[in-house]
Amino acid sequence: MSSRMKSAVVTLACAIAACGGPAPETEADGGAEAQVESDAVVVFTTNYPLAYFAKRIGGERVRVEFPAPAGIDPAYWSPSPEDVAAYQEADVVLLNGAGYEGWVAKTSLPDSKLVNTSAGFEDMYIVSEEAVVHTHGPAGEHEHENLAFTTWLDPVLAIEQARAIRDALAAQLPGAEADLQEGFAALETDLTEIDARLGAWAADHAGQPLLASHPVYQYLARRYDLNLRSVHFEPDEVPTTGGWRDLAARLENHTAEWMLWEATPLAETRELLASEYGVGSFVFDPCGNRPESGDYISVMRANVESLEALPAI
Amino acid sequence: MIRIEDLRFRYGEGDFQLRIPELAVESGTTTAFIGPSGSGKTTLLNLIAGIIRPEKGRVETRGVEVSGLSDEERRRFRITTVGLVFQEFELLEYLTVLDNILLPYRIHSALTLDSSVRERARSLAERVGISDKLDRHPRRLSQGERQRVAVCRAVLTDPPLLLTDEPTGNLDPVNRERVLDILFDYVEDSGTTLVSVTHDHEILTRFGRVMDFRDFHAFGEAGSGAAGGAS
Amino acid sequence: MRDTLYLALRYLAFHRVKTAILVAAITLIVFLPVGLRVIVNQSSQQLTARAEATPLVIGAKGSPTELTLNTLYFSSDVPARTTHAAAAEVTETGLAHAIPMYVRFRVRDRPIVGTTLEYFEFRGLRIVEGRQLAILGEAVLGSRAAKRLGVGPGDYVISSPESVFDIAGVYPLRMPVVGVLEFSDSADDDAVFVDVKTAWVIEGLGHGHQDLSRPEAAAGVLRREGNVVVGNASVMQFNEITPDNIDSFHFHGELSDFPLTAVIAVPPDQRSSALLQGRYQSAGLSQIVNPTEVMDELLDTILTVEKFVIAGAVTVGLATLATTFLVFALSLRLRSRERETLFKIGGSRTAVATVMTSEIVVVLAAGVLLALCLTFLTQRYGDVIIRALIR
Repeated sequence: MSSRMKSAVVTLACAIAACGGPAPETEADGGAEAQVESDAVVVFTTNYPLAYFAKRIGGERVRVEFPAPAGIDPAYWSPSPEDVAAYQEADVVLLNGAGYEGWVAKTSLPDSKLVNTSAGFEDMYIVSEEAVVHTHGPAGEHEHENLAFTTWLDPVLAIEQARAIRDALAAQLPGAEADLQEGFAALETDLTEIDARLGAWAADHAGQPLLASHPVYQYLARRYDLNLRSVHFEPDEVPTTGGWRDLAARLENHTAEWMLWEATPLAETRELLASEYGVGSFVFDPCGNRPESGDYISVMRANVESLEALPAI
Repeated sequence: MIRIEDLRFRYGEGDFQLRIPELAVESGTTTAFIGPSGSGKTTLLNLIAGIIRPEKGRVETRGVEVSGLSDEERRRFRITTVGLVFQEFELLEYLTVLDNILLPYRIHSALTLDSSVRERARSLAERVGISDKLDRHPRRLSQGERQRVAVCRAVLTDPPLLLTDEPTGNLDPVNRERVLDILFDYVEDSGTTLVSVTHDHEILTRFGRVMDFRDFHAFGEAGSGAAGGAS
Repeated sequence: MRDTLYLALRYLAFHRVKTAILVAAITLIVFLPVGLRVIVNQSSQQLTARAEATPLVIGAKGSPTELTLNTLYFSSDVPARTTHAAAAEVTETGLAHAIPMYVRFRVRDRPIVGTTLEYFEFRGLRIVEGRQLAILGEAVLGSRAAKRLGVGPGDYVISSPESVFDIAGVYPLRMPVVGVLEFSDSADDDAVFVDVKTAWVIEGLGHGHQDLSRPEAAAGVLRREGNVVVGNASVMQFNEITPDNIDSFHFHGELSDFPLTAVIAVPPDQRSSALLQGRYQSAGLSQIVNPTEVMDELLDTILTVEKFVIAGAVTVGLATLATTFLVFALSLRLRSRERETLFKIGGSRTAVATVMTSEIVVVLAAGVLLALCLTFLTQRYGDVIIRALIR
């Protein structure tokens, strides 16, 4: 299982974000802010979107920690025992669910503190086409069912997750419902705006074939009914011959002209894609980990602007 | 030393009656009581020691009328004045030789066991040739050795009167002579008065005086006359 | 007095076998009923205390005693399995916290207690050495378990196969010991604690193996049928979870179907407790038991048995006492000649009697003293004995 986001790259999106809408929280992920009150609720999360949402909603009342190192995909992170010990001390541990944080099943965390933010829409989980079934030994066949887990790329689901965070924080902060609601409402407004812009773009580009460098955009594609297919290209590697062959096979009945990348691909890959296959590249950052600059909303806005910058069909 | 006048004694309602009109034993002498079994030799020894009391008459030892003393006084008298040696030795099996010799000092409050007493016990043991066996228990001694232990116990308090009841009755001739040598040596050295019951005629020559109990008419008849004696 | 005692002690020392037997008899006469009382008192206190500290236990229908003893004392009689869903059900009622318990496996004779971190909080168990459980496959040991197994942080414990013929897949799992708990004077001191998920790994419900879709595992692949990769028996079963292989560990099936021996339910108040118990009264696959009630019942049984045993012990004791006095009496008669001798050479008859009385007193005192020592030891180590009996 190799990381699909092996390095944090300065994305196009982020560059554009500089002129994007103002972000209310520049330090939204919490980090180790000195001004946080000592009696703040300690919230640990398993990815950056949850950390961002929690800080937006909880504000000064929460201390949000997301200890995964920068530059890795938190979905494939294995925390050290020390990291786990830190999680154990949290008041609330926010999980993305949908099989996102596989490491939670391999560590000891207090059940009562775990909040699965996507539990409210379990029936909407997408089963990945990449599921592997294998059999061995006397136990017979068993299935490793892979769920697609980048749920937050559907802003509607992201709002549901934010709502779950609001409720979880409310349980920890009696009397703070109004403030939490205020934070949530502002976040909801931002996410709704993104949803509206994505919806508008999708309406203009209905049925347009698109390629994804990796299968991470399932929830986005479903939400906006995108005609999106995936290959397995890494942004920091030139695809192998086999990879190019897969691409050619994909393109045979899926004449896409654009490929979504999680991060800026190598120039060589980008040039080969354009010259050999007539496929242009642009970044749509899922933002699973902390961006090098900006915040979740600015990254998402940059993603939207990248889409909007595509030529019309 | 011993003066008996008009002594009468009877065990319960039995036929046996001991009558001794008059008997005297001088200090520093050795006397043997002989006579057939049941003639009252041991009984007389017990009367002299104050173990039993006469029905009638006087038993006076060293000017003390023993028959007139209370039980407690007679015990005190025994422990301080009388040394007793028995035919069966009567050692305590659970005590070592030394503890057996020291026994008188452990059973009467009138006597205090101190280091000088222990020293005396050791020297007595050495004198009778058992000093290497002080830590043994009696069952690991020969008959002769046991009687020597008994003699040590009897003379530990340095009593003026030594009463022995068949002291050689259980001994073979060699040991008999050895024990008698010890007894008579001691008596001679210390000037102790020795009164011994015996039926062993071979040893009578050692005694200064022999009293035959047949003369006491012990069996129910009215006794008469003093004890006869021959040396 | 000193001389009297000296003679008495010399006598007892000389007849040491007889003395020992007499002292032993007196000891037993006193200790049997007294020690039994102490044990029963202690066990009832212990049982009651732990039961009272454990509000409610939920498990599959079956013997409530078995369920309670397994959950509270980790006894080796494993109750019928319930599922992890039972814990979720309790949580969903909102009436109580649920602590899952899976007490089935052992490390030698020490129980492996699969549970969650909430258990440590619930019992007030603190880590004194090392750290808390963090990663799948780790173990934290009770203080006595650590001592008996002779391990500490940095060492390993290995789960024991349930039976020699167990080929169904319960592979012994080698678990790193990461922490040792503070002594708590309870059954927790004897346990090897693991995350409940680790217990499932021991059971074979979760396992790690080579990634069959990778080239280096080709030797283990029988055939590929589309997405289905069929592995053969040579696929290596890890018997230890390491940083290198933890990524390949996974669970088969739904976690909610995974087995538990019990769920400890901790309601915040009496009302919630009553409501929760009410929910389980109706027919179903689960039962809810109040450990205090179960223990009270058990104690009633113990007390009844105790009455019989004490009655028996007292009877035997009286008989032994009579025999003892017979021995004394015979001894006095056998020693009449000794008394006579002592009297003759000047000892008073009472002095002689005092020597012999001293002997009896010394024997009685030694017996009683010994019985008291035994009682004290029972009091001190009774809990160990009781726990050994319960296990």
